[in-house]
Amino acid sequence: MTRNASWIAITGVTILVYLLMFAPVAVVMLLSFNDSQFGAFPIEGFSLRWFVALWENEAVLRAFRVSLLLGALTAVISTTLGVLAALAIVRYDFPGKRLVSTALIAPILIPEVVLAVALLLFLRWLGIPRSFVLLLAGHVIFTLPFVILVVQARLVGVRREFEEAALSLGANPIQTFFSVTLPLIMPAVLAGMLFAFTISFDDITGTLFWKPGGVETVPTQIFAMLRHSISPEINALGTVMVVITVVLPLLGLALARRLAARTRM
Amino acid sequence: MTDSTKRYERLLERYRNGDVDRRTFLKLMGIAGITAGVTGGPMGWLAREAVAGSPDQLRFDGWGGVVSEAFREYAFRPYTEATGIDVVDGTFGGADEYLARVRSGRPGEFNIAHLSGVFDYARYHSLDLTTTINEDNVPNLQYVIPRLQDPLRAITNGTLSGIPYNYGTTGIAYNRKHISDDEAREKGAQLMIDPAFENRIGGWEEWKTRIWYGALQTGQDPNDIRDMEAVWDAVREHRDLALKYWSSGAELMSLLAEEEIYVTEAWSGRVYALQEQGHDIGYIDPPGGLGWQETLFVIAGSPMEECEELLNFMLEPETAIAVAEGQNYPPALDPQKVDLGDKVPNLPAFDPGGTLEALNFFDPEYWNGHEQEWSAQFSRVQRGY
Amino acid sequence: MSATADRLFDRRPWILLGPALSAVTFLLVIPVCFIVVYSFWLRTAIGTEEVGFHLDNWQLVLTDPFYRDILVQTIRIAVVSTLLCIALGYVPAYFIAYAGARHKLLLILLLMLPFWISYIIRTMSWINILGVSGAVNSALMAVGVIDEPMRMLYNEATVVAGLVHFLLPFMVLNIYVSLDGIDRNLTAAAQSLGCNGWQAFREVTLPLSLPGLAAGSLLCFVLAAGTYITPMILGGPQNAMFANLVFETIITQLNWPLGSALSLVLLVLLGAVVMAYTHFLGLDQIAKSFR
Repeated sequence: MTRNASWIAITGVTILVYLLMFAPVAVVMLLSFNDSQFGAFPIEGFSLRWFVALWENEAVLRAFRVSLLLGALTAVISTTLGVLAALAIVRYDFPGKRLVSTALIAPILIPEVVLAVALLLFLRWLGIPRSFVLLLAGHVIFTLPFVILVVQARLVGVRREFEEAALSLGANPIQTFFSVTLPLIMPAVLAGMLFAFTISFDDITGTLFWKPGGVETVPTQIFAMLRHSISPEINALGTVMVVITVVLPLLGLALARRLAARTRM
Repeated sequence: MTDSTKRYERLLERYRNGDVDRRTFLKLMGIAGITAGVTGGPMGWLAREAVAGSPDQLRFDGWGGVVSEAFREYAFRPYTEATGIDVVDGTFGGADEYLARVRSGRPGEFNIAHLSGVFDYARYHSLDLTTTINEDNVPNLQYVIPRLQDPLRAITNGTLSGIPYNYGTTGIAYNRKHISDDEAREKGAQLMIDPAFENRIGGWEEWKTRIWYGALQTGQDPNDIRDMEAVWDAVREHRDLALKYWSSGAELMSLLAEEEIYVTEAWSGRVYALQEQGHDIGYIDPPGGLGWQETLFVIAGSPMEECEELLNFMLEPETAIAVAEGQNYPPALDPQKVDLGDKVPNLPAFDPGGTLEALNFFDPEYWNGHEQEWSAQFSRVQRGY
Repeated sequence: MSATADRLFDRRPWILLGPALSAVTFLLVIPVCFIVVYSFWLRTAIGTEEVGFHLDNWQLVLTDPFYRDILVQTIRIAVVSTLLCIALGYVPAYFIAYAGARHKLLLILLLMLPFWISYIIRTMSWINILGVSGAVNSALMAVGVIDEPMRMLYNEATVVAGLVHFLLPFMVLNIYVSLDGIDRNLTAAAQSLGCNGWQAFREVTLPLSLPGLAAGSLLCFVLAAGTYITPMILGGPQNAMFANLVFETIITQLNWPLGSALSLVLLVLLGAVVMAYTHFLGLDQIAKSFR
């Protein structure tokens, strides 16, 4: 097999996997334009009414804003803690290392419902009420393992010689980290942030238990709708998010390309 | 005087006035707790400070979507305008999950909840989470169907800790393309263990409902089961024929609408919603069929007077009708006393007489008495044991 | 001099670990101690707990074949899902890593796209894809491959499918991050030494991407083993996993002591897997230092 042929095969498999990933997304996007209230195929009529309803639904929009804020804060905090911890684990030897790294992965080893209840029991014992900070702390705790695992795996591949070279050239450890290590592990840091954000954005069980009064995220709103029926406004919300995260960068890319092409002419 | 001592004074005053009974009072003081071992703690004073709940807001929890929208518009906003007290509304996905949250929370943290039926009312009572509503403060209680209040009063010594709000039935839904109305009426509960529909059968993943229908299928009185082994066998038979146990109304509707299943037990309001959309789904309450109610429940540790006033707003007919039309379950208001509008009388399970004599309810004493054993056993039976 | 060096050597990792470790201690280790205490209590008939030191829960959990069978079933489903994730995930990860830099970010964003649709919604949407009137059946019937719709939903296979769909992005991103860190000169060197493309991949790229593969597999396995919503929505009556039992025991049956014991069993089992993983990763590092 030539190099080209195998690259074509790789591309083909990748496209298939991506299509598989998109199947539920496509369903939800299609249903958001469905005129009928209960998501069922075949689609009976094209309508934008759910987008209008979404725009007017203060509760869902508020939940959406809470989810975004919570996800963003979780991503930043969790990634900071995670990168530091991963550095310690990969770059240093210390007693109890295996125990420590297991403890840092532990938040995803316990069924979430148990962690949720246990944390509440502990906080009740301390007399600390539920608050947004608790919710945030909870999210940080169970996104931490994702960050640590991915950063660790990348760090293992970064050769120590680069850092040693910087150090021998007179940089202090902090300068070395920011000028050498961080750029080298950047893809993992970004992946970790993306993990933390999406996990937080998508979490149900822990959020149900930790949310204080008046705070709802998109998943808890959906969970409460399950009894009657999930409002198609939620599908519309999904469509809006997909459009924002995909179509906008694509448009930007196309625009940049066209501009570049024009200047070349 | 610090805030916490002020709250303590207020609490003490309420206790002396009889607004809080002794048991609740002691619990609020952090002396007794649900989990005796782990209350108190180094910062217990913090917990005690917060128990009475700030009187400038109340916490309501219920089903989201249309239901909370209706409550917000018709009850909470007018209430806040009238009293200056904010209503913070939260949601839950199920009664069990909510109870776990209440138990792991602190007294006074949760105030009013839209809870299901008599069974949960009894469960909250056995966990010391009930209160006593001063009925003089809830004039709209006069419109509430007495038949729905009686089982609650039986649990809490004649008083109420929650007020019936709506009712419905868990009957049998079937796809009319494959099952005729006559066949459904003739077979009743047996329809769900008819081998002809193997892998076209569904059922609610809830032990009480499964056992209730198991009793009907074996010709027993669900509130007085003599041969439990026969019931378990019926539950197993249904399990082996079933394609899917559903666990939410949304799932139930998509299973029926997509014709994954032809027959299942179903909540009356969900079937109505499907019919409204033009799906050809039939619905019957078989002989001995199951009725249920939902209550607006006041949880122990809440500021009673404020809660009572809010309950009255929520029981206003226009609020109750708006909620009923949103969720397709009839309100607990007596149609003989209140005009319920055009849509409500067409809802399934609606009783124009307001007596609800045709419906059967879980006998709370019987079912709560067997809860521990049966719910654990169902968990096994469900998985093939 | 050497004393100072030793002290510095000792202190630095702990400073780095400080924030993460204290968060884990406060929010996880201590709460888990509560769980351990609870597991020795008993549930009373009305749903409250009887404080004390009882071994009943542990005896039940450790001897009852019901729990053992479900645990085995859980591990089987988690292993199969993880293997499928590896099979489906490596090639896309390779593609992203070797695609043009400009497309990388977009490809990764696309991969995470399903997460914008809430977990419950996208899990439930499989009924519109695999159901009797779903997209797959409609398409196959339109083409004439089948006359009757196939019944594909609500069995172990759909649970695995749902899990793979949920877990695949984690696998792909972990592998990608490792692949992306490989020095391209190494493969070029291997090829100049006479390896063909496949040999270069097998001898150089694959081994160097193993840390990412291992991290992805660990994540997938652990997440799969702890899931309960996927089997609840996509499984048949009997396709339960261990976390479903924990959820049911705690939430439906209000039996917190028994639920605590059950979750500790899962914790110990998965903890052992992680211990093995860190051991493996440790060896891997030693191997690297010889390079």
